[in-house]
Amino acid sequence: MRAFRSLCCVRAHDSCTPCPKDCTSLRSVAFRLVTFVVILLLGVSLCSAQQKPVALKGGRILTISHGTIENGVVLFENGKITAVGSSGSVQIPKDARMIDVAGMTVYPGLIDSETALGLTEISAVDMTNDLVEPSDEIMPHMHVYDAFHAESELIPVTRLNGVTNAIVAPSNHDTLPGQDSFIQLAGKSQDDFLLVRDIAMPVNFTGAQRRNERGEGRKFPSTRMGLAAQMRQAFLDAQDYAQKWSDYEKKKADYEKPKNESGSATDSAVKPGDKDKDKKQPPNPPKRDLRLEALLPYLQGKKPVVLAAEESSDLQAAVNLAHEFNLKFILNHISHSQSVLDYVASLKVPVIVGPIYEEPKPEERFDAVYSLPAQLYKRGVKIVIASYDSHNARNLPYAAGFATGFGLPADEALKAITLNAAEIWGVADQLGSVDPGKTANVVVSNGDPLDVKTDVKMVFIGGKEIPMASRQTRLRDEYSAK
Amino acid sequence: MLFRLLASARVGISGTLIVVVAFALVALAQDASPPVPSDLLIKNAVIMTASHGNIPNGSIYIKGGKIAAVGAKVNVPSGVAVIDAAGKFLTPGIIDSHSHIALDNDVNEATSPITPHMMMIDAFDYHDKSIYHGLAGGVTTSLLLHGSANMIGGQAIVIKHKYGLNRDAMLFPGAPRSIKFASGENPKRVYGSRNQLPSTRMGNFAVQREAFVQAQDYMREWDAYNAKVKNGDKEASPPKHDLKLEALADVLRGNLLVQIHCYRSDELLTEMAMAKEFGYKLRAFHHALEAYKVADQLAAANIGIATFADWWGYKEEAWDAIPWNAVLCMRKGVRVAVKSDSEDFARRLNQEAGKTMRYGGATEQEALQMITLNAAWIIGVDDKVGSIDIGKDADLVIWDGYPLSSSAVPNKVFIDGSVYFDRSLPGFGMPYYKEGL
Repeated sequence: MRAFRSLCCVRAHDSCTPCPKDCTSLRSVAFRLVTFVVILLLGVSLCSAQQKPVALKGGRILTISHGTIENGVVLFENGKITAVGSSGSVQIPKDARMIDVAGMTVYPGLIDSETALGLTEISAVDMTNDLVEPSDEIMPHMHVYDAFHAESELIPVTRLNGVTNAIVAPSNHDTLPGQDSFIQLAGKSQDDFLLVRDIAMPVNFTGAQRRNERGEGRKFPSTRMGLAAQMRQAFLDAQDYAQKWSDYEKKKADYEKPKNESGSATDSAVKPGDKDKDKKQPPNPPKRDLRLEALLPYLQGKKPVVLAAEESSDLQAAVNLAHEFNLKFILNHISHSQSVLDYVASLKVPVIVGPIYEEPKPEERFDAVYSLPAQLYKRGVKIVIASYDSHNARNLPYAAGFATGFGLPADEALKAITLNAAEIWGVADQLGSVDPGKTANVVVSNGDPLDVKTDVKMVFIGGKEIPMASRQTRLRDEYSAK
Repeated sequence: MLFRLLASARVGISGTLIVVVAFALVALAQDASPPVPSDLLIKNAVIMTASHGNIPNGSIYIKGGKIAAVGAKVNVPSGVAVIDAAGKFLTPGIIDSHSHIALDNDVNEATSPITPHMMMIDAFDYHDKSIYHGLAGGVTTSLLLHGSANMIGGQAIVIKHKYGLNRDAMLFPGAPRSIKFASGENPKRVYGSRNQLPSTRMGNFAVQREAFVQAQDYMREWDAYNAKVKNGDKEASPPKHDLKLEALADVLRGNLLVQIHCYRSDELLTEMAMAKEFGYKLRAFHHALEAYKVADQLAAANIGIATFADWWGYKEEAWDAIPWNAVLCMRKGVRVAVKSDSEDFARRLNQEAGKTMRYGGATEQEALQMITLNAAWIIGVDDKVGSIDIGKDADLVIWDGYPLSSSAVPNKVFIDGSVYFDRSLPGFGMPYYKEGL
């Protein structure tokens, strides 16, 4: 999580404000003044919002981690939540910006665990799409951060509904389409958005990856057998590759090790006039292979793969493959695996379930997919709900709300798009709940976060108030004006 | 299911195979005959009428498949069956004014841009489970439209979601005929990619105009012939019957409701100008994502829109879509429906309608009308369905939870007074559908 340590506050401080511990120093006061002047000159208020503490007072706080606080206060400063509690229990600094949110609901920014935000603008216009590299099936060295477009018009649209963080994933056309990034939906540059550049790797085994089109489009792998075989080969190759490198490192270390009492190998190697001596050559490093290199963190269990399957048979084949290579995994979809939910629970892994709007198979009841989150929750599985969308990622809370109609408790549905998501992505020390010490990604709305009628009033990302504007609000305002 | 039976039978002996196949075919052929609705009282529900507000603790008396009484208290004969809907909500059945379900993908005869004589009834796959999925989401009536590959795609059908019955029993009796037009990106892409006309918006409208010029000629030939016959000319020979031109002539005669797939505001205006040029009326623009830019003109021409709540950005002509479109248009006097255009959205149109309360502040009744009464008007069946009023068809939904929310789920769905979906039933939850048996 090293990459993640420098979340919003620190990143923002890099560019505009001093970090918390420097704030007391004289140097920082001077720096603050300079910054203040610069901001005044630029007329930009984004950074200044962080300098003053912000107190959201009087709202109903859904902390996610420790229940609901009626008439509460959330205090944040320098991008971090500093205090949470009932009104009266929280000391509000005199210089704080007080925002009365009485009658409002306050909750952590929502986390969408699968989107293509920043990889697409207009779906039907190919030149605006960087969703997947279809030329080959095994493309783990594709990094979505290389294509991520922070200025996408979709991002303001999405965050206006309270989605503050998201996984950006390549589309599922390939078995190994590349590596996911974890983003926040605000910032001054791409670097601010990309919180974790390579956070996980999708492994897709839903059948959609088969190259089984008719005619010339048909090529290997055109069956699930082919998909599995080539994936297995890729991981075997990566194991061999890792071995080659560790052999090399060992040889290199041997070579560099002092050989005898007369001096080190390095000393003798640089000694002039020594070239005729019959001595050991330094080892040649293996050729670098980006594709195989990309698989190593996963083979070593350092990062999770996101294992996607829909049908129960695919699910079991995919899980066996993951076990074969000791991959750490999160399950994805499992939309038509109702018959093996106890097996899923026995795996003790989290599940990104859905999309909840996935159509049932003809032989399934209408609510076969709708009820999956509740069914998994009942079995003790940690569930996460995702939009699996880009333009409509703003509707993430409604997907979670829909699951409550089919038996998922409302607080669990909210957890599935906040704290559970933060936990599976390893960022729960920073995100997912309203707790002191966490990043101030906070949403203020006029009601149930999961309902379609609820209007989001304010969104804070890294403590900064996000302007409630998007391309869509601008069009609305332009054509509403008389 | 037939496929499954066949697949499992393959391992058996051929005799078993024949038996199983024969059994399966017989089973599938067993569509239920239309049920005779029994009279019924639904009481204690929050009734959302869609026409005259809510009745907090209301009752509905259903007689002969129609709504016979509705109110806080209704008088019913003794012995009438009663459903106590305490704690539940009751709305009119949802009406989807733009659907492509149950057509086995035969939505586009994309071999010519003008195919007004393609009849949806000929492709209607009434066993399609999508009809059931919509029903389970509270949809009771749908307008099944052609796709948008062609400038003029063909003639639609209106169905009631009576899943389990035979084909003709699902057709909405007496519904007016609708014809689907399209414009914009789809026709120009489909034909342009083959280097055929049309490949531009100019081509699109030229093709459409040309078709109506031909139809005018065709009508004149027939009018002349009919006049001759009327004047006693026994020698007069009739012009050739042409299905395509006959269908277009029916547009010009005002016999068809014209439903146009159209996105951009300039094209909305061009379609209106063309209708004026040839003298036909437009019923509704579908999608109409830029209607908010020309809402005044649409309202003045009494043209409705069937739009998405918040779908956008899937193509260039959907780039200016805003979720306030529905309410902005409604406030200008346009009749607005929220439609599915998808097997998916058809299952949760109630949520889509709920979004209009948030985006622009539609009232509860206005939001509900977008998936009931206004949709019924677009289809031309608002005299029969779309609200809870005496004399209308008893197409009703009892909801668990507030209907215009993320979490509402239909508990029971009635069509013409009979229950076609009941969530509490095992299996598929459909009394008239028995799979495989």
